[in-house]
Amino acid sequence: MSAAVDDVGQQTPVREPAHEDGPPGIGSYLFSARDLTVSFGPVIALDGFSVDIPRGIVGLLGPNGAGKSTFIKASLGLVTPKKGAIFVGGLDSRTQSLQIRDGVGYMPEHDCLVPSMNAVELVSYFGLISGMMTRDSMQRSHEVLDFVGVGEERYRQIKSYSTGMKQKVKLAQAIVHDPPLLFLDEPTSGMDPQGREEMLELVRMIGSSDKTVLVSSHILQEVELVCDYIVIISNGKLVQEGETKTLVAGEEGVQSLTIRGDEGSLTRFVRMLGEACEIMEAKEEGGKQMTLLIRGCRDGSRIFGLARDSGVQIRRYQPERLDLEEVFLRSFRGGGKDGN
Amino acid sequence: MGISPIQYRPWKGERTALNLRVYVILKSIFRHGLKSTGVKILLILAFLFVYAFQFVSVLLFGHETLDAGEMSSNFNAFGLALFAILLTAVITSDLISEDLSSKSFVLYFSRAIKTRDYLVGKAGGAILIMSLLCFLPPVLLAVVSILTQSGSDYWSSIKVLGSTVVAGVFVTVFFVPYGLMLSSLTKRRSYAAVGTFMSFFVLTIISGAFSEFDSAWRVISPAESLSYAVDWIFGQSLPSYINEGALFAFLASFIIVPALVLYWRVQRQAVGK
Repeated sequence: MSAAVDDVGQQTPVREPAHEDGPPGIGSYLFSARDLTVSFGPVIALDGFSVDIPRGIVGLLGPNGAGKSTFIKASLGLVTPKKGAIFVGGLDSRTQSLQIRDGVGYMPEHDCLVPSMNAVELVSYFGLISGMMTRDSMQRSHEVLDFVGVGEERYRQIKSYSTGMKQKVKLAQAIVHDPPLLFLDEPTSGMDPQGREEMLELVRMIGSSDKTVLVSSHILQEVELVCDYIVIISNGKLVQEGETKTLVAGEEGVQSLTIRGDEGSLTRFVRMLGEACEIMEAKEEGGKQMTLLIRGCRDGSRIFGLARDSGVQIRRYQPERLDLEEVFLRSFRGGGKDGN
Repeated sequence: MGISPIQYRPWKGERTALNLRVYVILKSIFRHGLKSTGVKILLILAFLFVYAFQFVSVLLFGHETLDAGEMSSNFNAFGLALFAILLTAVITSDLISEDLSSKSFVLYFSRAIKTRDYLVGKAGGAILIMSLLCFLPPVLLAVVSILTQSGSDYWSSIKVLGSTVVAGVFVTVFFVPYGLMLSSLTKRRSYAAVGTFMSFFVLTIISGAFSEFDSAWRVISPAESLSYAVDWIFGQSLPSYINEGALFAFLASFIIVPALVLYWRVQRQAVGK
């Protein structure tokens, strides 16, 4: 995948179609969006969005209003694209939306549970609507409620549940019919740390049973923990995508260097270092410490020599490793993982 | 996750056809409605006030055949309309408003359910309950009347039975789109219920006030127009001051306009607007 800069100066990935020999969405990719444009009146929610999403646990990241929910709705055939198409498992969302929805479980972010029902009634009811027989849906609803960890409370009305329990019931209704594809929108929203950990463990367990799980979340550490693949979206466009381990690995040859010293020594060191290699980023930390991101300094002994000559201490010198938050922020600064 | 977490187990069962899933919604509403004490009381009261006397008179007094004029009068459409609107207010008020307030639309429409299926399920459940008041008793009355008739002209009696079925279906369906429309306009069940009944009441008052000057205004009273429509179905002549075109335009608009508004509201919810 290469990158191009569009007319508003934003970097847009340019990619070759992944499925030239057959219908998109078949093979290792489950989702394929091609030049997808969705607008609501004058607001363009998705703007020529193209992406191939593989099977596994996939994180869908982006700020509010980025187009994540619209992408999910377009995948379900709930909104009609103005241009382009989405293929889910080889099915076209414009013409085969019911077949797509039949194989999807959706856990919305917001409250969506009927407060006057209890968990068993609600989960089995939506199991029936998903096409299960009465006996199967009742049995299965108990099974999935056991799985998500809702105990005897399942017989209480949902309006008496805590946020964490509601999240678990929302997950249970999404998996009751055992769909091959799951959309989880902010699955840990409003949960305490222990509840979050449990939810992430559930997502991991579901993902390990040959399901594709698309997790939309703002909590980047969580996404990094559970997702194999990340898609970052902003202003209706694809900003960044790739395997999690590749995205957070940082660019080869880029080093992170933390130095400490007085102001004059630091300035002198940075000037000399700038002559020896490329300084990609310099962050001052409290006046006496700096962290630099450098490229092109293959010889570490030279850096230590410069530090000795300038009178600064090297506190840390290691290959760059990003966390997902950094990847995310860099994407919005207009660059890829290399920060360009 | 505890010491021994329960692993995810796939489900291997069979799924029903897409078009059968609408019956799940319908059945759920019907069962839920019949569990309600309010609905049960209304059904019993309505039967006692609207049909009990007719059943007694049919059983006690001899009759040669099932006569259209008599059945039209026994149908008691005006009295039936009063209870029908009350029952509509009770059963339809939460059908859409509850999904609006709980935002559970998304759970329906993320499944293989179309807006049309959702509405057919909801309306079908309500219609089934309404039929216990507006369809079953008059048809039963007609059947009892045929079974106890002294004459041998069963053919004309069966024709009246046919008209009773048509009138029963019409009255059963008449208020449901309106009640569902109001339910789709608010998140509060109470607003939808009161709104349904009050709009009926207000139209009746307006009709009463204006018919002092011109009797043609009677058509905007839902109970009166329903009563005229039932008379028409039974082949009875309408009063001279009633314009047939105006009557049918009102009746059609009472069903079609709410149905269109309802579809539009639910369709918007389906795409999350």
